[in-house]
Amino acid sequence: MLKLFEHNTLSVKDISQEQTAIEVKNLNLWFGNKQVLDDICMRIPKKKITALIGQSGCGKSTLINCFNRLNDLYDGCRYDGEIIIDDRDINSRKVNVSRLRTKVGMVFQRPNPFPMSIYENVCYGLKLQGVKIRRHLDDAVESALKQAALWNEVKDRLFESAHVLSGGQQQRLVIARALALKPDILLLDEPTSALDPLTTLFIEELMDELKKHCTIIIVTHNMQQAARVSDYTAFFHQGRLIEYADSDTLFTMPDKKQTEDYITGRYG
Amino acid sequence: MANSTFKGLNAVQRQSLVISLTAFFTSLLLIALVSVLVLIGYRGVAYFWPEPIYLITSKHESGEFPVLANIYRDLSEQEVTLKYSNAKHPYGSQIRIEQGGLDSVELALDSAEIKLKDGRRILALPEYIITPTHAQKSLTEFSAVASEAALITAQIESINSTHLAPVHEALSQFDKRDVVKDAPAREKLVNTFNIYQKRIFALEKQRAEYQLRIVFPNGEGMLVPVASIQDIDFVSRLTVYEKWKVLLSEVAIFLTESPKQANTSGGVFPALFGTVLMVFLMTIIVTPFGVLAAIYLNEYAPHTSLTTVIRVCVSNMAGVPSIVYGVFGLGFFVYTLGGSIDELFFSDTLPAPTMGSPGVFWASLTMAILTLPVVIVATEEGLRRVPEGLKAGSYALGATKFETIVRTILPIASPGIMTGVILAIARAAGEVAPLMLVGAVKFAPTLPIDSEFPFLHLDRQFMHLGVLIYDGAFHSQTDGKSASMMFAACLLLLVVVFVLNILAVILRARLRRRYHKG
Repeated sequence: MLKLFEHNTLSVKDISQEQTAIEVKNLNLWFGNKQVLDDICMRIPKKKITALIGQSGCGKSTLINCFNRLNDLYDGCRYDGEIIIDDRDINSRKVNVSRLRTKVGMVFQRPNPFPMSIYENVCYGLKLQGVKIRRHLDDAVESALKQAALWNEVKDRLFESAHVLSGGQQQRLVIARALALKPDILLLDEPTSALDPLTTLFIEELMDELKKHCTIIIVTHNMQQAARVSDYTAFFHQGRLIEYADSDTLFTMPDKKQTEDYITGRYG
Repeated sequence: MANSTFKGLNAVQRQSLVISLTAFFTSLLLIALVSVLVLIGYRGVAYFWPEPIYLITSKHESGEFPVLANIYRDLSEQEVTLKYSNAKHPYGSQIRIEQGGLDSVELALDSAEIKLKDGRRILALPEYIITPTHAQKSLTEFSAVASEAALITAQIESINSTHLAPVHEALSQFDKRDVVKDAPAREKLVNTFNIYQKRIFALEKQRAEYQLRIVFPNGEGMLVPVASIQDIDFVSRLTVYEKWKVLLSEVAIFLTESPKQANTSGGVFPALFGTVLMVFLMTIIVTPFGVLAAIYLNEYAPHTSLTTVIRVCVSNMAGVPSIVYGVFGLGFFVYTLGGSIDELFFSDTLPAPTMGSPGVFWASLTMAILTLPVVIVATEEGLRRVPEGLKAGSYALGATKFETIVRTILPIASPGIMTGVILAIARAAGEVAPLMLVGAVKFAPTLPIDSEFPFLHLDRQFMHLGVLIYDGAFHSQTDGKSASMMFAACLLLLVVVFVLNILAVILRARLRRRYHKG
């Protein structure tokens, strides 16, 4: 706990424009007639880890899907409000969604490596970008796998199927796949819920390393994990942002009763 | 009622009754399957198996006896079928006769089955060979004499191809340019033609003097030109091992030669080739069509009642009787499409149709339409099985929908697509009815592929194993041997379908290993 208090974290209200990676302004989102997100406003700081917590169905996954417009894939999804990344509203029609998704990487709950070799998995995004030179691909694959702390385990079998890897390795491979595109923001949607505790710890350490390079937003059901790894935490309930503060404050002196009930396990 | 009869049984008995019933019907299915394979296999192989020759005498009123014959016994009946040769019917005839009506049956060790190059067979006692020098040679020298005759045949062919063919070519050029009949150049050509023609006649006459004398059981003799003989087998003398050798050479002939004697003997190569070519073309046409349609339906089309209706229609198309597709192919592809193509591109040869007549391309296209629903349904099934997580993963890396389909969805769905293609191949290879309307014929003089530009002649009619079997079925009442050719063709068709399926299954297994876990 002592170590946590030494963190030099700003209060959320003091996050300046320059320090903001994502600014969400009055975001509303509906699936059909059901409102899933209700007037969300928040600033997510650069090169920090922000955790989103809340009950299942509270809209936290939907929110991070907004950051790379993955909600566009679902029929009947409508939204308004602004999400500003790099001074541009990504909800605008003019945004190149493919480009956006290369800048905002995402890792899913279940490891989802493509049924290809490890090497091909990591190059997938780069090849879509039109990178063809073998040497560039080799370098990118190596550095992405090193960043994801997977290089030493797979360097001798890069051309074997990704399915031979263990669950934790697969998840790190998926992280490497996203990192290969050098994203500014990395969205992690319950990245460790399908993994064992040791592997989870490994991935958490990895996140700590990664935040030097990019902003990380993690959705998690695991309160300890949120407290352990995140700099900031936002608590959602029924599509509303109830409380958003630096993690130390939120987990020790929550403002709202609802937050306190949730983090102490009284419901949810 | 069922309830009351069941009441007498306890739970265990009731269960074992259900198990016995279901097992009974499964075993019926197995029996049906095995008997199909055994019957086709047995009768098919029997076509190639050399039957021993018997010398048979009888006081039968037909006056045909004594004869040399193969005996075909039916399983339970008192009658036997004799396929015999005598002086009246040297090339074979057939008779059914009661077992008791036969006076004597003995193995004719010295008689032989003489196979002619035109597909006919003679059962007779070969005596000696006559050569142009009028020397009588013994049978042991047959192969030497045969090769002498073959040498002459080769000479004739070389004159035909090196000297006569250019003359024909030049003459047809003159005809095209309307050169007058008595033009000097034309007369010169005709003279050369006559010179070579004379040489060929001389050679043919010489060749005809190589003859084999054979004797029938009643003592009458006959001379057979050596050049027309393909093989002489003393079947009754053969050991089992030698019979297998004969069988293998018969199989080789069956697979590599054209049918002879109105599809009752010879080989089936054109039909085999036609079947495989048609299936191959059909696969090339149907796979992209089916896959693209399935992709649209599954990935792009909005989920409305219209797409549901389309899906139902596609599934129902699979149940439309195949002859309907045949009529559609004839009416639309051949007459309408082919006719328009002829008017547009081949108007100088009209009224003789080029594309406006049944041909292998229209047949393949018709079969592609017929198998399209199968491919669409199987592909959709494969596409639906692609995990959502993988699609999302691809989109999250910046892939567009198209890139995701090409790079992720299609490879993962490829085993499903292959399943569709396998079903399509199996269906197309076995269909006969629609093919007879749109291009398959009993006998096609040329293969759809040859050395003339454009090499692959998609407008030509072709032969098909199924049609050959259908044709063979009409011979069955009169000629036991050609009926068994039908069985042999049937066996071959089974083998072709089996091999095509095995290839596709292997391909599918490889794709599965590559794109799926475990």
